[in-house]
Amino acid sequence: MISLFYENLKISLVAVFANKTKSLLTALGIIIGVLSVTLMGTLISGLDRSFESSMSWLGKDVLYVSRYEWFSDMEWWEVKNRPRMRSEYVDKIKNLSKYALAVSPVMQRTASLSYADKETRTEIFGTNEEYMETISTDLDLGRFFSLSEDRNGSRVTIIGYGLKEAFFGSDNPIGKYIKIDNIKFRVIGVLEKQGKFLGLFSVDNQAILPLGAYNRIFSKRGWMRLSVKVPEQKIEDGHDEITGIMRQIRGLKPSEKSDFAINKTKAFEAQYNKLKLAIGGTGYFITLLSLIVGGIGIMNIMFVTVKERTREIGVRKAIGATNGMILSQFLMEAVTICFFAGLIGLLLAYIISLFINQVFPSTLPLGLSLFSIFISMLVGILSGIIPAYKASKLDPIDALRYE
Amino acid sequence: MKLIGLKDIYKIYNVGGEEVRALDGVDLKINNNEYMAIMGPSGSGKSTMMNMIGCLDSPSSGLYEFEGEKVHIMDDGQLASIRNRKIGFVFQTFNLLPKASALHNVEIPLVYANIKKEKRLKMASDALISVGLEDRMHHRPNELSGGQRQRVAIARALVNNPSIILADEPTGNLDSKSGHEIMKIFDELHRNGNTIILVTHEDDIAKYSNRIVRLLDGKIVKDEIVVKN
Repeated sequence: MISLFYENLKISLVAVFANKTKSLLTALGIIIGVLSVTLMGTLISGLDRSFESSMSWLGKDVLYVSRYEWFSDMEWWEVKNRPRMRSEYVDKIKNLSKYALAVSPVMQRTASLSYADKETRTEIFGTNEEYMETISTDLDLGRFFSLSEDRNGSRVTIIGYGLKEAFFGSDNPIGKYIKIDNIKFRVIGVLEKQGKFLGLFSVDNQAILPLGAYNRIFSKRGWMRLSVKVPEQKIEDGHDEITGIMRQIRGLKPSEKSDFAINKTKAFEAQYNKLKLAIGGTGYFITLLSLIVGGIGIMNIMFVTVKERTREIGVRKAIGATNGMILSQFLMEAVTICFFAGLIGLLLAYIISLFINQVFPSTLPLGLSLFSIFISMLVGILSGIIPAYKASKLDPIDALRYE
Repeated sequence: MKLIGLKDIYKIYNVGGEEVRALDGVDLKINNNEYMAIMGPSGSGKSTMMNMIGCLDSPSSGLYEFEGEKVHIMDDGQLASIRNRKIGFVFQTFNLLPKASALHNVEIPLVYANIKKEKRLKMASDALISVGLEDRMHHRPNELSGGQRQRVAIARALVNNPSIILADEPTGNLDSKSGHEIMKIFDELHRNGNTIILVTHEDDIAKYSNRIVRLLDGKIVKDEIVVKN
């Protein structure tokens, strides 16, 4: 049976390569199908990866308390009318909460940063000494500021890895002074490299200051959120508890609605899953459609092939080919076309994924590549089976007489 | 020794509600190492007879024994197997695969017989040598003359050491010179102990055989021994 397999493979290869243009046109639907499924998979895997790392940057065990609820359709004026977060809440939450492991207020604005003759505009953050516990990024160099540095308004800063590269290159920035809106700050630490948030904007160019200094130099008023770290498995309990504490702080009656929002990275996940479903759904639809069209094309060309080679089928039967042997020969031919179609689709997808990778980190997943080859061969079997069956059932006498 | 026994064979077709008796009660015995010609005008049933003997067709009724095996009760797979092991076909139009070399054409029956590659190549090239094509093995059919193509077909028919060689108008598409060359090959095969059944309407060609069976309207009308001078 192995020699029959090789024989069939040889016949198929000869048939496919003897008519390259015909085979290529026949296989176009499958090529497009495989291309769309693998490209979509590449895109989603890239999205997954950047989403995963972005989410770990946010932290799955952190509650974000602010006026604004993520992905809600609240009117902006409604948000604006809510009372601001205040840094006094930090101590209150710490005192009342049994889940809170770290609480830090975060204020944010853009500022102009400079060192020597280099200058850039970037985000600066004002926060307290517990901030590092609410993010999952570590320090690359130096140290974070202390409670007393925050209290006495020390002008120290921790800069992102990108900022360090831009300002200091490979030099050690620790102890050097940079200017933030023309006020000198001493660099005491550098965050490790983080990459782009959701693949969109870099978070490596930030500078972190103690809230004490931030408030004095920039503004006490401004947008603030609180980051509350809780044990990961207690995120729901923590959510309920912090809601209660916030309502207590705000002095809300049971009948009143909350005038703040507690956000979790889950909200991002839900949103992200919707996006993924949309991309995936569209991709699968295109894939399915082109595979069906491609499969019909293969079936059609196989019917033509069987017709063209009726006499050959007669000869083969006369010299001893059984129905099964003829069936496997034509089935193999359909599968071979589809296999090469899958391979071409995959190759194109790989080339395109290299371009995508330039703008968006992504790789062609190996499992999906194998799967797409498997799928195209399956299409070959499904679309080849009827023509092959027809070939196998030909009467050898009629087939030999066929002109 | 009896090789083939046909007993009371009928092959009845229904063409447009009308019954056509392609074979109408045929009895025939063929012994080992016979060289037989089947003759008859077109429509006499000689093609049906050949298909029947070649196990390409099953009788509507009657008994067909081939070396003791009951062909009339065989299914498609068993028929394919007996064709592969015991029958070598030579057709009027050669019926070689155009994209395959002579060697590969001869090799195909051995592929279906599930014989290993090295043995296959040896057997196929031996068969080609025996018909005098040792220097044409890697040529494709369109690079060969008609006579050479028919010799490839004969090599293909021989390669499995079949019990009979069944030739359907083997010289019909050849000029008379190549035709007679082909017939000489059959002569030699016969001398070497092969059983040969020839279907032809040419008396010239039939004369090579030792026995002529004449058909008319699906019946054997004459079964004679050829006396050679």
